[in-house]
Amino acid sequence: MAEQASSPGDVVIEARDIVKRFGGAVAVDDVSIAVREGEIHAVVGENGAGKSTLMRVLAGIITQDSGEVLVNGTPLETGAKNSIAAGISLVHQELSLVPEMTVAENILLGYAPTQFGFTKSKELEAIAAEALEEIGVSVDLNERISRLSVALRQFVEIARAVARKPKVLILDEPTATLTPAETDYLLTMLQRLASRGMAIIYISHRIPEVIRICHNVTILRDGKKVMESKVSDTSPEGIVDQMVGRELKLGLQQRRSAKPGEVVLRAEGIRAPGVNTVDLEVRAGEIVGLGGLVGAGRTELVRAIIGADNRTAGRVTKFKDGKAHVLSGYQSSIRNGIAYVPEERRTDGLALAMSVADNITLTNRAELSSVGVQLRGKIAKFSQDLAEKVGLRPPEIRREAGQYSGGNQQKIVIAKWLGRRPDFIVLDEPTRGVDVGAKAEIHKLVKALADDGTAVLVVSSDLPELLELADTIHVIRDGQIAGTLSGDEANEKTVMSLAAGEKMVDA
Amino acid sequence: MAKETLTEAITLAESDAAGLAPVKSRTSPLEWVAENGIFVFTALLILASVVFVDGFASLVNITDVFHRAAPIGIVAVGMTFVVISGNYLDLSVVAQVATSAVILIAVSNEYGLPLAMLAALLAAATFGIVNGVAVGYFKANAVIVTLATTYIGLGLLRYFSGGSIFFGPQDGIIREFGLGKLGPVPYSAIVLLIMTIVLGFVLSRTNFGFLVRSFGVNERATRLSGTNTAAVVIGAFLVTAVAAMVAGWVLAAFSNTAVSAMSQGYDFRALAAIIVGGTSVFGGKGSVLRTLVGVIFVSVLTNVLVLSGISFGYQQMALGALIVAAVTVDALSRKAAKR
Repeated sequence: MAEQASSPGDVVIEARDIVKRFGGAVAVDDVSIAVREGEIHAVVGENGAGKSTLMRVLAGIITQDSGEVLVNGTPLETGAKNSIAAGISLVHQELSLVPEMTVAENILLGYAPTQFGFTKSKELEAIAAEALEEIGVSVDLNERISRLSVALRQFVEIARAVARKPKVLILDEPTATLTPAETDYLLTMLQRLASRGMAIIYISHRIPEVIRICHNVTILRDGKKVMESKVSDTSPEGIVDQMVGRELKLGLQQRRSAKPGEVVLRAEGIRAPGVNTVDLEVRAGEIVGLGGLVGAGRTELVRAIIGADNRTAGRVTKFKDGKAHVLSGYQSSIRNGIAYVPEERRTDGLALAMSVADNITLTNRAELSSVGVQLRGKIAKFSQDLAEKVGLRPPEIRREAGQYSGGNQQKIVIAKWLGRRPDFIVLDEPTRGVDVGAKAEIHKLVKALADDGTAVLVVSSDLPELLELADTIHVIRDGQIAGTLSGDEANEKTVMSLAAGEKMVDA
Repeated sequence: MAKETLTEAITLAESDAAGLAPVKSRTSPLEWVAENGIFVFTALLILASVVFVDGFASLVNITDVFHRAAPIGIVAVGMTFVVISGNYLDLSVVAQVATSAVILIAVSNEYGLPLAMLAALLAAATFGIVNGVAVGYFKANAVIVTLATTYIGLGLLRYFSGGSIFFGPQDGIIREFGLGKLGPVPYSAIVLLIMTIVLGFVLSRTNFGFLVRSFGVNERATRLSGTNTAAVVIGAFLVTAVAAMVAGWVLAAFSNTAVSAMSQGYDFRALAAIIVGGTSVFGGKGSVLRTLVGVIFVSVLTNVLVLSGISFGYQQMALGALIVAAVTVDALSRKAAKR
């Protein structure tokens, strides 16, 4: 593996043997990385490969379990303040600006020059103006952020990082929301900053961007570093192969022999914030997968379809026993036999402070009550049966849901819906943050549901999962279906190519 | 299974629960105090009062404590629904109690008791629906909304009553009820007990009560389970309104007079009882029984302070300090539980 940087400067920031776990899951597994002055270093990998976690360790936002970060050879104390003082600036993936404050105030947020506790507004404006000039963006300093376009906000975010005169600038997918022209501008700007000696760590899914501006590339997969190379020594295909790296596993996948039945749900012309006119059909016994990058609009799409969020246009029809029901909103979806396992199980899926039985009762209360009075015996038996059916361990229905591990919590969410015997189930990231064992069990459950004739719509950023589960995969990009893959044409490369929107490998 | 009766259901649940292994939990002392403290403190307070405070254990005094506790207690057990739903409190109970009291006396003087009760019920429903729709449907902040409806309610009441005091007749059912006792226990306290039992059942055993609690624990998960959450919030405010109405009747009957200013401070006192009882201001956690115990604690404490000749100013300070202590324990125990 090539270790030499192509730029001549000294190493500014170095991370050695970083390990970071979240609960049982290892997010970053023994990763080392070094970046030199004037170098643009790409960190690439699939969703969940550990890129953002690694960057948050470098920026001192989270503390690593082991390993160390060195800046100019000196070990860095953890904590965001220390990282900032050491000259590390992180431009977040999610915009973190205050919409109701001005451009200048946002740029200096948190470290505005003050005197006797009062902000020195002249100085503030001067620093903000300088930062904007540095990145070559002209915007009114006194304009409120809420009035700016998403792209301009992204640039203000970068100006904010640059205003601190960092030695190391970290950008986490800065181009995700930008148009090609804006992206082009941003890339040129980064090259200019690097040419003045700034060390830049650049995270992106978009391989062509990496090829264009980066000197070196580090590839992460499942939290591990799988490759580090000079960009000039590799190729787009080589990078994608390493990111995906699972060709061998393809043969191990047990695809179901799908025999789709009647159409269960038809969505036509769905529009919503982040969703741009999507048509979709799911049949009985079929698992339809939605692939794509984080932020592509998959969650927004499924929520708009089932009415969990309002849609601005479109029509959703649910078919049952030959009858069509037009779904008017979320409650009507649920009444018509739809189940929704949301992306955020801790906030949206479960009432964590309530028991397993309570959580199951929440969706099944009509069946578990008589004239509005809850039947405790029936609740106990019903919940116990479901807990055992989904393999909850231990199956103690009086225990608070919050006391269970992530995988078990997800089983509770599935259990609470199974009690309704849904004929259409939406699963959004069903195994995110779930350990391997529980993941396999959840996959088995989902397949069994489909085999029983349930129509399944699954959103997943976990490519192997998507390929294993889905009979048909719609790849979503910019709120639209960028392509549909089924059978043998669906593999990690074809999905990634469609998701990233670049023709970089042969499909 | 489908045809089982309620009693069978409850027995089944108990036998089932007994078969389960005890859930292992690491409860900190703070959590223990937040959980059980009020029962111990109330018992200790009553015991200490009987032993150390002259005049506390007399029949006259006990009856007086009951009389004073009843209307606030009835408001508090109702308002427990709003607090558990995570919507903080209903300040407008001040206006609701007074409105109900004035309507009961004034309308029954002119048109008889049944019509007066019906009018009071209409007023209560209006309060409950206005508060509930604003908070539940339009997602307005409960504190601001109910502060506003307090002003609207009291304003309307003063406009229609002309600010005058209404006196009930010296005989009749209202008067009889107001002065009536069962042994040492005034009827008003029996009403409080009945309200506690009924609302306790509603909160702990019915679908509606379950949804109020689950909404308080996690609004989003409750909504995404297919619940009409606006209806749940409206229901919680309606329960509060009906309780406040009953409290107004009890208060009016006891004094046989009604005036718009008669329920001043009921908002804060009811909240004090709820919080001291251990119902969490963060929603989701608590019970109607706890509120009853909280009412007893606050009422006995106030009575003891009065008997000991401590001035009203100090009483107020004591109540304020009590609430600060209770919410602090609540917040800290929540933090401890999260770890």
